Amino acid sequence: MTSTSASSLSPAAAPARSRAGRLAGPAVFVGVLAVALGVLPAVLEPFRLNLVAQYLCFAIVGLGIAVAWGRGGMLVLGQGVFFGLGGYAMGMYLTLERVSSDPLSGGVPDFMSWSGISELPLLWRPFAHPAVAIATAVLLPGLVAALLGWAVFRQRVRGAYFAILNQALAAAFVILLINQQHLTGGTNGLTRFPTLFGASLYSADTKRWVYVAVVLVAALVYLAFRQVVRSRYGALLVAVRDGEDRVRFLGYDPTWVKTLAYTLSAMAAGVGGALFVVVMGIIAPSSLGIVPSLMMVLAVAIGGRFSLAGAALGAVLMNAAETAFSESFAGGWTYLQGALFVLVIVFAPRGLAGIAESAAGWWRSRRQPQGSSQ
Amino acid sequence: MTPVAEPLLRLSGIRVVFGSFTAVDGVDLSVAENELRFLIGPNGAGKTTLIDVVTGRVRPSGGRVLFGGRDITGLREHAIVRAGIGRTFQTATVFEQLTVADNVDLAACYRMGPLRLLRRRRGLSDTVAAVLERVGLLALADRPAGVLSHGQRQWLEIGMLLAQSPRLLLLDEPVAGMSAGERERTGELLVEIAADHTVVVVEHDMDFLRRYARDVTVLHEGRVLTEGTVAQVQADERVQEVYLGRNVDVAAPLAVGAEGE
Ligand SMILES: Nc1ncnc2c1ncn2[C@@H]1O[C@H](COP(=O)(O)OP(=O)(O)OP(=O)(O)O)[C@@H](O)[C@H]1O
Ligand SMILES: [Mg+2]
Repeated sequence: MTSTSASSLSPAAAPARSRAGRLAGPAVFVGVLAVALGVLPAVLEPFRLNLVAQYLCFAIVGLGIAVAWGRGGMLVLGQGVFFGLGGYAMGMYLTLERVSSDPLSGGVPDFMSWSGISELPLLWRPFAHPAVAIATAVLLPGLVAALLGWAVFRQRVRGAYFAILNQALAAAFVILLINQQHLTGGTNGLTRFPTLFGASLYSADTKRWVYVAVVLVAALVYLAFRQVVRSRYGALLVAVRDGEDRVRFLGYDPTWVKTLAYTLSAMAAGVGGALFVVVMGIIAPSSLGIVPSLMMVLAVAIGGRFSLAGAALGAVLMNAAETAFSESFAGGWTYLQGALFVLVIVFAPRGLAGIAESAAGWWRSRRQPQGSSQ
Repeated sequence: MTPVAEPLLRLSGIRVVFGSFTAVDGVDLSVAENELRFLIGPNGAGKTTLIDVVTGRVRPSGGRVLFGGRDITGLREHAIVRAGIGRTFQTATVFEQLTVADNVDLAACYRMGPLRLLRRRRGLSDTVAAVLERVGLLALADRPAGVLSHGQRQWLEIGMLLAQSPRLLLLDEPVAGMSAGERERTGELLVEIAADHTVVVVEHDMDFLRRYARDVTVLHEGRVLTEGTVAQVQADERVQEVYLGRNVDVAAPLAVGAEGE
């Protein structure tokens, strides 16, 4: 019965709001952006600022999950794959930037020399160009998702089967990365990136610029997806989520509707991964597998999958909480996360965003009687 | 009935088998352009299944569906809608999370490509407003469809159909579960629609049938029992037997016991 209780308050179903209500969203957005760009860089030490940038990378992934899962009903439990594709594409560029400035490298990354490779493999070569790397980080995840989505959605694979398929994909991806050590750096992944476009990644200044870039990209992805969910397509996506078979009788093929949302979510994950490498200086299989993929979805569930802002906030909060906890008592976090998830599923299926909306609705209805003269 | 050159819809030898059960057993049926055809028959006669066959929801194990002379047997559901056939469902299914306007708007925009769909809907298009007006839901345009009453959902579904201006409308029990007043309104709506559309209506309700039907096809156990005008069909003894049960006076208003699903 969660669907009926969600229906009355879901953003898609909200009746026409007042002008103030309509402007509240954009005002909050501008406010958050102003704080993120104007205040945080001034008050946070570089290390902390870098952490915020890291959280925002997951927020970008979360925005994609909110579109595919929240709106489209596709439980995307393998976003680590797309995150990884983006991360490795960018990581390959960063690795080659280091290699090219290091006369002792012999033109190949050290893990390749250890495997006896002395010439850069064909697969790696295009990634010497930053434009190729960035384009790949965004487009390759999209392409993979589009092909996969088209194939499975056409066959009407959905629900748990689709979720399990994504998990299997994440597992297989990790195995592939580890097995192809001579190409991927194996379990260690790609790491040690001293420079980005020639600027030292260890300097506080560069870190600040990276942070600003991450904030701007996150804001752009948010705005783009906001347009998507508010468009006719966004309504169609909700329709497919709630009645895929009914949508067919409106003359739409749900295959492309779902494939597009899945593709967009994969591209967001790719962007998140690409930025993550720059921010964290490492991409490795351990952050892409089944568990990390689950965590990405978990954070969105807690923040609220029906709301873009909720999803992004959930990702930021959960990752911040993880940092805070692992700084004090390490092992406890996983359990707490599990407990939080259960609490949310049982008591707040629409997550923090749902709680906030209910509270706002309650507040408005309380004020309504007095404000009726207006 | 006057013979027509080429019927809009022609079913020939349709068979549907579910496991070992034959739900539709060799049905031939023709519907001419601009006709209003009622399809009746006792529970389980195969009426819904027949609509499912025409709209691609069920693949027949035998027979062909010709629409406007074109063989549409086995086409996918959305392709059949695009060919010009729309339907409603026995239990109205609308998108509860979307507004009433969005429901109709999506129906109206089914020929838009993905890029145009990625734009926002601004206000109501003329088509959507006209349809909402016609089915009496204009005042509820911005409300989520989930709040609609049973009858209003049926109208919304009919509205969604009208927004697509299909060449053929298939209505599966449009007045089932409606109050007397709602039936009346639906009947008027039906007459309006039938004036410029080809419509096939599945209906159990005898009263409704008598008031609004012209030509009737009676299905029984997956076969066409008889076809004719309301009067002819009512006078048919076989119809009285299978449809109404023995010794029931056809002219008496039929208590609606047949609707329990
Ligand atoms: N998917 C299915 N699998 C198995 N049997 C089915 C299926 N769909 C329908 N049937 C059976 O086929 C027969 C015809 O069903 P159908 O729904 O077409 O009847 P109907 O004439 O629409 O009846 P009603 O007036 O109750 O709506 C019924 O006996 C039904 O149980
Ligand atoms: Mg039926």
